[in-house]
Amino acid sequence: MQTLEVKNIVKTFKLSKKQQKLEKTKEKLKVAVNDLSFTAYPGEIFGLLGPNGAGKTTCLRAISTLIKPDSGDIIVGGSSVVKDSMDVRGKIGFLTSELKLEDHFTPSYLFTYFGKLHGIDEELIEERKTVLFSRFGIDNFREVKVGDLSTGMKQKASIAISLVHNPEFVIFDEPTNGLDVLTARSVTDYLVELKNEGKTVILSTHILSVVDKLCDKVGIIINGKMKICDTLENVKKSHPSNDLEEIFFDLIEEDELGGNA
Amino acid sequence: MKNIATVFRKEFYRVVSDKRLIFTTILLPGLAIYLMYSFLGGAIGNEFEDIQSHEMIVYVGNVPDDFSDYLDTLDLNVIYTDYVASEHDEILDLILIGEVDLLLRFPTTFDSDIDGGILSDVLTYYNPGEKYSEFSYGVYMTELNTYRQSVAYDRYGEAFYVFTTDINNDEHIIIDEDKAIGQGFAMLLPMLIIMFLFSGAMSIGPDSIAGEKERGTIATLLVTPVKRSEIAIGKVLSLSVISLFSASSSFVGIILSLPKLLQGAGEEISMNIYSMGDFVMLFTVLLATVLVIVGIISIISAYAKTIKEASMLILPFYFLSIVMGMSTMFSGEAHSNIFIYLVPLYNSINIIISILTFEVVATQYILTIVSSLVYVVIFIIILNRLFESEKIMFSK
Ligand SMILES: Nc1ncnc2c1ncn2[C@@H]1O[C@H](COP(=O)(O)OP(=O)(O)OP(=O)(O)O)[C@@H](O)[C@H]1O
Ligand SMILES: [Mg+2]
Repeated sequence: MQTLEVKNIVKTFKLSKKQQKLEKTKEKLKVAVNDLSFTAYPGEIFGLLGPNGAGKTTCLRAISTLIKPDSGDIIVGGSSVVKDSMDVRGKIGFLTSELKLEDHFTPSYLFTYFGKLHGIDEELIEERKTVLFSRFGIDNFREVKVGDLSTGMKQKASIAISLVHNPEFVIFDEPTNGLDVLTARSVTDYLVELKNEGKTVILSTHILSVVDKLCDKVGIIINGKMKICDTLENVKKSHPSNDLEEIFFDLIEEDELGGNA
Repeated sequence: MKNIATVFRKEFYRVVSDKRLIFTTILLPGLAIYLMYSFLGGAIGNEFEDIQSHEMIVYVGNVPDDFSDYLDTLDLNVIYTDYVASEHDEILDLILIGEVDLLLRFPTTFDSDIDGGILSDVLTYYNPGEKYSEFSYGVYMTELNTYRQSVAYDRYGEAFYVFTTDINNDEHIIIDEDKAIGQGFAMLLPMLIIMFLFSGAMSIGPDSIAGEKERGTIATLLVTPVKRSEIAIGKVLSLSVISLFSASSSFVGIILSLPKLLQGAGEEISMNIYSMGDFVMLFTVLLATVLVIVGIISIISAYAKTIKEASMLILPFYFLSIVMGMSTMFSGEAHSNIFIYLVPLYNSINIIISILTFEVVATQYILTIVSSLVYVVIFIIILNRLFESEKIMFSK
């Protein structure tokens, strides 16, 4: 079954002195993700919505196996991130701002390189390179060193490279960050295409309109906790205003009151 | 296996496709050493020539005619001025400031003293702080000795010698020329080899691992379905090959500058005293050694948060390895204690000495290679652990 099941994951970080100052806290531990659960299905786009520092990236990094949850597990198409992390990595395409491309190489070289590491044969790599590069408008920049690319072009190269192996699970952390409307549109269009191909897509964002237009399901995370998780329709229905923004603000307010009590 | 090759090729290409890196890690070390040693050799040679071609200024008083005639036959590059007693102090002052090289005074009674069997004292004045004066003194002392012997021989005949040494002994000097030259190499090369391998690895290792952490590119690699051990092995192998290139460059620099460095010594020294087998052994030892060095540097680089931190943390190991190299420089002799060949790097240094002095003991050689490989495996396991640790890989 090509579902992605996040089961009660908890992730706590030890804060260094520097981080304690930055976060204005005396606590040595930060619970970034607190007993989070949700399931994403093939043919759906699941949106993780939350304010800055809510724990979205942490959750996605746990799915990508870069970090291990303290407890709980994530099952990606039958493979556990804790036990079969290699299998998981082969099935997902992961994009986040902390995954950088080396400045010295060209998008074309890196695409081939990561394709090979995913065990794809060279012919297929070239085929996918042509498709994805033209799709994201990188064609003219395929032989330009990453270091010489604009921020947006780098982001597009990263997206193309994360999809080199045509993964069943696409996990994108704020994919439209730093992109102009036109490019952002081409990315979201592509996500819809992937969904229609039957892929399981998870994306995180703090932009409500992205969720509104794109997502079939939405989970709102605040302070590491899943506040609400349902189809977009049901989430909206749960509030008299039927407006995502109102719901979002209410939930944040509620959390702050709860936190103070 | 395929992934190791892929990682290796990319890491290798990273360096060889970068003109700046090619220059700094491969060309520069050899060039710098060649220029440095050539300059040094040239300076020593010039100094030697300079003294040779200098016209000695020597003041002489009461030189006996036979000695004077003898000196004339020698064709020395010298100007003689006659000594006048009233100028004695001035001449000494001139020697002090280096204007005059030597004052040579025979007593006025020299001839009669010799004839009468009275011990006569010849006076010489020179300044050891002045190179020309020092040199002139050496020249004239040699000739005075020759003169003394001829005078003594005239008086006593054969009996003067009391005894002779090795006049008819063809086998007087028993030396294995190759071994003597090998001994010279054994004193010089082990430290240089370790230094070159280390500095080659040091110039790229931190960037390849700590740099990737710092720039956030390692995470991109870590989300691929590649075993961390494959990444570790791929990186270690490519760093090792580049370090070998870098060290070879330094080595070529030395070999090319050797003739200039030794021009004063006038000796014929070359590496062709060694057989193919020696070179093969040397090469396998270098290979094992560079893997150990790169292993150490990789672990430090994986642990460090930044390139800078990695470079700092590597320095103590670099110095330690140089000290190890130096410790053998004076003895130029390999240890016979078998346990020494289990100590990483130190075993390499000792076995290199054995090879260069034609004294390799098979067990020591095998122990060195095997223990080095065991260390490399341990290092790769540690590196693998570090790559698996999110605390190490994503520490902020
Ligand atoms: N390696 C780490 N060490 C310490 N604290 C961390 C670490 N990574 C994340 N955190 C903390 O965990 C919390 C959640 O961070 P996370 O990056 O998941 O938030 P986010 O929802 O992605 O926010 P944003 O919208 O700003 O990207 C934050 O308070 C963050 O400071
Ligand atoms: Mg984030």
